[in-house]
Amino acid sequence: MKRRLPLKVSVSGVRGIVGESLTPQIAARFASAFGTYLGPGTFLIGQDTRPSGTMLKKAVLSGLLATGCQPVEVGVLPIPTILFLTREKQARGAVVVTASHNPPEWNGLKFIGPEGIYLRHSQVEEFLDIFHQGEFTLAPAERIKSPLQEKNAGELHLERILSKIKVKSIRRCRFRVVVDCANGAGAVLIPRLLQELGCETLLLNTDIGGEFAHQSEPVPENLGELCRRVKEFRADLGLAQDVDADRLALVDEKGRPLGEDLTLSLAVAHVLRKKRGPVAVNLSASMAIDDLAARYRVPVIRTKIGEINVVEAMLENGAVIGGEGNGGVIWPEVHPCRDSLAASGLILEMLAESRQPLSSLAAEFKRYYLIKEKLECPAEVAFRAVVELRRRYRAERLSTLDGLKISREDSWVHIRPSNTEPIIRLMAESRSAARSRRLIEKFKKEIKDTIKKFR
Amino acid sequence: MKLLKLNLSGVRGIVGETLTPELIIDFSSAFGTMQPPGPILVGRDPRKSGPMVQEAVISALLSTGHEVINLGICPTPVIQFLVRHYRAAGAVSITAGHNPGEWNALTFINSEGTWLNEFQGSELLDIYHLGRFAHKKLKKSPPVMTELNPEEIYFSWLRRRIRTDEIGRARFKVVVDPCNGAGALMVNKLCEALGCQLIAINNEPSGYFPHDPEPRPRNAGEVASLVRATGADAGFLLNSDVSRVSLVTETGETLSEEYTFPTVASYWLKQHRGPVVTNLSTSRMIDGVAGKFNLPVIRTRVGQSAVIQTMLQEDAVLAGEGSGGLAAREFHPAFDGFVTIALVLEMMAVEQKKLSEIVRTLPRLHIVKDKILCPPHRLHTLVTETRKLYPMAPVNSLDGLLFDLKDVWVQVRASSTEPMIRIIAESPSELRARVEVEKVVAFLNRLL
Repeated sequence: MKRRLPLKVSVSGVRGIVGESLTPQIAARFASAFGTYLGPGTFLIGQDTRPSGTMLKKAVLSGLLATGCQPVEVGVLPIPTILFLTREKQARGAVVVTASHNPPEWNGLKFIGPEGIYLRHSQVEEFLDIFHQGEFTLAPAERIKSPLQEKNAGELHLERILSKIKVKSIRRCRFRVVVDCANGAGAVLIPRLLQELGCETLLLNTDIGGEFAHQSEPVPENLGELCRRVKEFRADLGLAQDVDADRLALVDEKGRPLGEDLTLSLAVAHVLRKKRGPVAVNLSASMAIDDLAARYRVPVIRTKIGEINVVEAMLENGAVIGGEGNGGVIWPEVHPCRDSLAASGLILEMLAESRQPLSSLAAEFKRYYLIKEKLECPAEVAFRAVVELRRRYRAERLSTLDGLKISREDSWVHIRPSNTEPIIRLMAESRSAARSRRLIEKFKKEIKDTIKKFR
Repeated sequence: MKLLKLNLSGVRGIVGETLTPELIIDFSSAFGTMQPPGPILVGRDPRKSGPMVQEAVISALLSTGHEVINLGICPTPVIQFLVRHYRAAGAVSITAGHNPGEWNALTFINSEGTWLNEFQGSELLDIYHLGRFAHKKLKKSPPVMTELNPEEIYFSWLRRRIRTDEIGRARFKVVVDPCNGAGALMVNKLCEALGCQLIAINNEPSGYFPHDPEPRPRNAGEVASLVRATGADAGFLLNSDVSRVSLVTETGETLSEEYTFPTVASYWLKQHRGPVVTNLSTSRMIDGVAGKFNLPVIRTRVGQSAVIQTMLQEDAVLAGEGSGGLAAREFHPAFDGFVTIALVLEMMAVEQKKLSEIVRTLPRLHIVKDKILCPPHRLHTLVTETRKLYPMAPVNSLDGLLFDLKDVWVQVRASSTEPMIRIIAESPSELRARVEVEKVVAFLNRLL
């Protein structure tokens, strides 16, 4: 396979390897295109903790200034905080220098619109057209602004979260909590949140100097230290954020990682108990969500993969809770975006109100077995393979919204070519580990055979 | 016409048209790629577009692995001085000097603290054109340090080098117009260091230029009337990055910027014997001054880079241009408006003469300048054509064409910053000079 330069331009912005595919030139061009697209106004500029953040931020500042915009630097902040502030401060938009959970040599830019959510599909198309055409509306010299800096802008976000949860009942419990910030932007706010909630806290990996202690995805294999410390500290729970602090994974009081899909299930269970309303999740979130919704007789809307798709569905349907199976909980009471801080608040409130340990709250969801796999495969072949499988399973209950999802009584399989890497993602869930494994193996083999046919 | 000018010491353009963040990043990345490892200084004048340019420059330098020392608003000569002080790998000065506010430019400075020489300049352009920059992976980001009062070190150095006792004793009162440029507020520190009383106008580094930041008589009216009203001993105009000065005498006479260099030379060459360097377009007044001391005058192409490099190569004691910029070898190899002001005041104090008296001793010559717009692709062809006007005269073709007639010299050259041809003539008789300039202009207009 031809080695491609790893620059990914997608719905969620642009990502690349610093010094190879992601250069200051490209960052400045994107920023000028964004300033041209949304027009001169105030823009928030944030960054995660990657070492290349300052370099790229300066290129972004220059690109925005050249189009007559007024950038306000908010420094290192969780991405949900920046999304929240964009709407709260009535900014025209925001640019965040982050590559989410990608390895440290990567970085990227995320673009946020005036509603405080990522650009919608139609907006991305318009924005990228401007980028590709390369004709930017440059401001004359006398209308060029100077960047402003705002410190402690995150307080506003914390205040909002605290106003939406039962702070007093949580405080009364004096929870012991261990947090793994993954050396990410969460480290600047979550200690304050837990302090306000009266928790006794042990913080791990809070250094934001740009060195990552472990891989940033909050999946069980990266959370060894957190699990150990939860036991040592005799904590009630462990929280694991990713680098930009939009996703959250939990560790129970026995030091067992619950798997990131459980965060969403717990949050949905907690919110629905208090307030009934539609739930929106993506296609690969656990079927535990459907069972919960059935119990409360509320509809579940399933969307394509990608945060913005879930957010759009939630806004359209007035959903009370939603999110993604990867630990991204979206609670619109605070702000319609994946938010590890709001999710932490919800989980603590749930623990306080239920007066049960996390392990027994989680037990209900231990009846679901979700397995994820991936297969290397060039993008073009992957799409043809999926089409072929679609034809083969025509008789079953299918969703072709994003790849192929086959839903059966008590189980499902989701096959999806990744749009950022040359791989096919494969997921299966059922009520038994063995059965989920069997499903995965069966489809893995079937995909491999199909791919072979095309080569 | 879109105006963008690349030359050997940098790139100059109009913000909002040609000087875009990408272009700035490309050039700065080329510079970062070319320079050896080490910190690079970045400073700017207070133009409104300064922060936009500065962010792009710093981004590119970080990307090519250089630590950055951000000097904020800082005059070019101070940046040049600090390169040596910090033992930096180079510097970028963000200023369009005497150009109006909508312009901006990058001037690249090497590790010696001088503008890039010819070879460095062409290497920079080669890297720029090739477009392959040494962007680093940035596993660790080089730091950006912000220097809050970078000029302090400079002024304490300057104070030691100037005869401040004599200047202080003379109790001078001076009017200075820094044109709201990089010299704004810093002239207060200069006068404090020299012990002068300062009357300053346009002394806010706000980015709004009250007039074109070009030190020359047509911008000097305000200073002249203040000098007369306050009974000051001298008036000075600065450009936006403090590399050029023009003088106003205590009588309120606004002197052409051509006078600055020979005025200082008439004092400096008394104590410092050695060759003098200037460009071909500068007034022959300097030949008269140097001749008095039997010192040779070496002529170069126009531009700070050429003049300064020749000063260093030829071990000259003084270098300057008719635009009001000058450098004394004993200070540092940079056109420095603060040094110029200090030397003029030192001369007045040491020689105990008024500025008008000093100027009266200079040879009386009349220089006449004109320019005509010309499409860029015909510039050099048309300049060559003028040879037909003076078939018999000796010609110097180092920079355009310079015809040496007996009682007048005429230079015809393509501007290196704008699409125009400049015509300059000088003679003891103003009429004679004017006639020659008009002759050339009429000739060129016929060809156009």
